[in-house]
Amino acid sequence: MKSVAPTPVIWSLAGGVMLFLYLPILLIVVLSFNSSPRVGLPFQGFTFDWYTALLDNRQMMKAIWNSVYVAFGTVAIGVPLGVMGAIALDRFHFPGKETFRRLVLLPVVLPGVITGVSLLNFYVWGGVKLSLFTIMMGQGTALICITVTEVFARLQQLGRSQYEAAHDLGANEWEIFWRVTMPNIRTALIGSTMIVLSLSLDEIAVTYLLTGRDNTLPMVLWSILRREATPLVNVAGTVMILLTLVLVTIGLRLSRGRQPGSH
Amino acid sequence: MAIWLLPPLLWFVLFMLVPYAITVFYSFGRMDGVLFAPDFSLENYRKVFFDAPYAPIILRSAWIGLLTAIFSSLLAYPVAMAMAFNLPSERARQIVYILVILPWWASYLVKAYAWKAILGPSGLINKGLMSAGLIDEPIRIFLYNDFSVVLTLTYIFTPFAVLSIYAQLERIPGSLIEAARDMGANGFEIFRRIVLPISVPGVLAGAVITFSLGFGDFLAPALLGGSDSLMISSVVISLLGVANDRPLAAAIGVTIIVLAALLISAVNRLEKRTQVRL
Repeated sequence: MKSVAPTPVIWSLAGGVMLFLYLPILLIVVLSFNSSPRVGLPFQGFTFDWYTALLDNRQMMKAIWNSVYVAFGTVAIGVPLGVMGAIALDRFHFPGKETFRRLVLLPVVLPGVITGVSLLNFYVWGGVKLSLFTIMMGQGTALICITVTEVFARLQQLGRSQYEAAHDLGANEWEIFWRVTMPNIRTALIGSTMIVLSLSLDEIAVTYLLTGRDNTLPMVLWSILRREATPLVNVAGTVMILLTLVLVTIGLRLSRGRQPGSH
Repeated sequence: MAIWLLPPLLWFVLFMLVPYAITVFYSFGRMDGVLFAPDFSLENYRKVFFDAPYAPIILRSAWIGLLTAIFSSLLAYPVAMAMAFNLPSERARQIVYILVILPWWASYLVKAYAWKAILGPSGLINKGLMSAGLIDEPIRIFLYNDFSVVLTLTYIFTPFAVLSIYAQLERIPGSLIEAARDMGANGFEIFRRIVLPISVPGVLAGAVITFSLGFGDFLAPALLGGSDSLMISSVVISLLGVANDRPLAAAIGVTIIVLAALLISAVNRLEKRTQVRL
């Protein structure tokens, strides 16, 4: 250990912050089992009723399904393009490289609403009908930067020697990608896929502007929260927390496997 | 080279540059009744900069973003320090790392709404104070103001700040700190002269993300903000909806795109200048 500040001091500060991070989430989970028909406190008794109510709520169940569908579509668009972008940035020098890099990063600092507005203008101008598909394209574009950043950082750590060796031994681009690059970036790839999935499941700003008739779960929750919150919100929230927990666990399991690049 | 560069490049051109260009095109036009009329006028930009309420609301959003960035960095710093310097093993570090990310992965809306359940008139704080006999009536100052908005945004975005500060602190070799200690530096001196300077790029990176997320937010102000706590994203949405003024919304969009591009350049330069080689 190379402690700088005394351990008790730093841990009580950090512990306080962690408590701050977890308390509100725990409150929602607890409230989702509250038998009171009102949303908030006090806690009147334990029940699973709101969970069965959620299962019976067609609008919510449809929205959950839509969210998952959009999230996988977003991954299908954002992750492969992100990997290509990262490889191009890592391996080659081309005119306008710095501009390309900043273009990729722009959606990180640009408010989602502005990304949404410009895409909406694009769709209106091109006469494209809004649907779950237009949401996917929007989220996919906004989230390419996640994969680019993660995979690019990994490629930079690796250096070029393996790639050059494979090249000298006569491997073509395709073979190099599958047998050299891919095994090395696997964990970064899984990590960024998980991040893109969860960001997409939770995305509202871009979705808000690009949504057609079908809605995702955050949009449905949003419309409920703006009127009068019902206990279903706590339940849907808890379900989403569980869903992401499962995703994260799967992601960590997958990425903990053998890592050929680490020797 | 082309097979790697071309697909993402074409995608960015089609789904970013072309939409931006169309937005610029719209921003020079005007509404003729309910229909868009192409034009080449700077009238919308004049409105953005000089007509109430647009420029003040952009500044207000930046102020909320700045507060979010400052508080997130302050909260994140001790956690990042504890992760980098006060954990016994790599495994413990991984576990705490995951514990920090998990709350970030919970739904944004649920987290914002949770603060309503804590700060509201029948929320956790008021119920607690009332049952302790400290107050008879619920206190209403916690909710529906800038305090609740900044608190919620800080809460939601702090994990981003932790991760980017930690990424810098992690680079500090233990030997550097031991050497400083051997030469008689105390904890505070080590912090001020080694840890703090090295962490600057991480703090900056985290602050840019939290600032931008706070700046562009429209959910927290709508859920927990007061009647006057309008932010620029909500203005853009209402311009597209009820007001049906696409050209003005486009002009605000273009203004913010330019500001964001400037922010990226400025921060890139700052991060490069403050980066310490280890």
